[in-house]
Amino acid sequence: MEFEESWSQRIMRIDPSDYHYMKVRLEFEEHGIGLNAAQFKQLLVSALQELFGEVGAALPFDVLTYEEKTLSAILRVCNSGFVKLWSSLTMLGSYKGNKCAFRVIQVSPFLLALSGNSRELVLD
Amino acid sequence: MATLRRLRETPQHFLSCVMSSFHDPRPRHRHFVETHYYNYKVSFLIPECALLPKELKSLVTELGPYYLVKNLPLHEFITPEFINTFVKKGKLILSLDKDTYEETGLEGHPSKYSGRKSMRFIVSVDLMELSFNLNSKKYKRTSWSFKEKKPLKFNFLFAWHNTGAAESSLMSYFSNYHIQEHQPRVSGSSLGELPCPVLQSDYIAGLPGVLCGAPELFEWLGAVCSNVDQNNEPHNFISTYCCPQPNTALAKAYLCSITGFLLPEKICLLLERLRHYFDEPKLAPWLTLSVHSFADSPVAWREKEHGFHKGGEHIYNFVIFNNQDYWLQLAVGANDDCFL
Repeated sequence: MEFEESWSQRIMRIDPSDYHYMKVRLEFEEHGIGLNAAQFKQLLVSALQELFGEVGAALPFDVLTYEEKTLSAILRVCNSGFVKLWSSLTMLGSYKGNKCAFRVIQVSPFLLALSGNSRELVLD
Repeated sequence: MATLRRLRETPQHFLSCVMSSFHDPRPRHRHFVETHYYNYKVSFLIPECALLPKELKSLVTELGPYYLVKNLPLHEFITPEFINTFVKKGKLILSLDKDTYEETGLEGHPSKYSGRKSMRFIVSVDLMELSFNLNSKKYKRTSWSFKEKKPLKFNFLFAWHNTGAAESSLMSYFSNYHIQEHQPRVSGSSLGELPCPVLQSDYIAGLPGVLCGAPELFEWLGAVCSNVDQNNEPHNFISTYCCPQPNTALAKAYLCSITGFLLPEKICLLLERLRHYFDEPKLAPWLTLSVHSFADSPVAWREKEHGFHKGGEHIYNFVIFNNQDYWLQLAVGANDDCFL
């Protein structure tokens, strides 16, 4: 890692964020199924429980934003639980008998990165 | 086992924060901005402000245009006509997977982020050097590779730092291809009351219990831009996120975002205009300007290689204080150099 010339003050943090952030969207095979924020979070908790048991279900994470219309959310999870949460989302296949899947749109250790995703640029 | 261990690890990331002043005789901020070439999104936040200031209105709507050219063959970039018309000095940098690299037959080097087994290669073609000697072996080989050996075609975004005749020739130069002009998308929103961290320019690392530092500000800014609720109780089921402490209440703020393919020269202008926002006394103690790079660009800053890894993030953020001091923050992922 090379540094530019000297600045008045500099702080450099390696792995500064204690958290990882995920932008996700839940898709159902059939239309018309809705969840409120609490139900959405409960679904994620049960996904963790299914894959990792009671200890997994106790993993703390936050639903920072939730849009009921599109079933999209931004999640925050501590770094040690990031892979567990992501793999739980991957393995979740249904909700109350309805087939569904999570799409992980973007992940980053920086929350600011989730507000600008160049892969969303559509120019047709 | 090593693979499993690697899969379980969270990706490394870096955040560098530096402090300087616009009164510094060396305009390092300008050089920094001008050497970030591939900018996707610019956003600025002005505390205690409800509407887009007049002095910024015209500039914000003049950050474009940019162009999309579809199915453009690579060999068009090495024609003497293109280089002499549009390229003052520059390089064509290709980031290729192993198979494509071997099929091109060009000389490159392994990606610094590809690990022990190189699966990605970087080819760098100096366009000015090529144009000086069209009979050279290098030019002939490159031309043969792009036209015959492995004729690659892509959709390209173009942005040109020039006005008048040069702009119109870009449209006419590629008239044989499908070329569209686009304007950057501008969106602005007035935010109501919100908590914000207490900052002081001299204390970039903060002061426990008294001031927040640059890393706390960076996270808070992400929360504002993503419209995250910051007034949660610790026992809340849905979210426990709250504004870093110590914080103060803003009566209002204005957030503006521009997305597209944005030129560093225009961003420099915007930075200067934002800096001069404080020429007259304002309630705001500071404002911010954030710039997101394209996640998939092969380079992020100058010719430093940029890799996507799991997020492709490469963001820089200015915090401009009303005394003309500034903080500059650079946040990058595992496959990037943090050079500030």
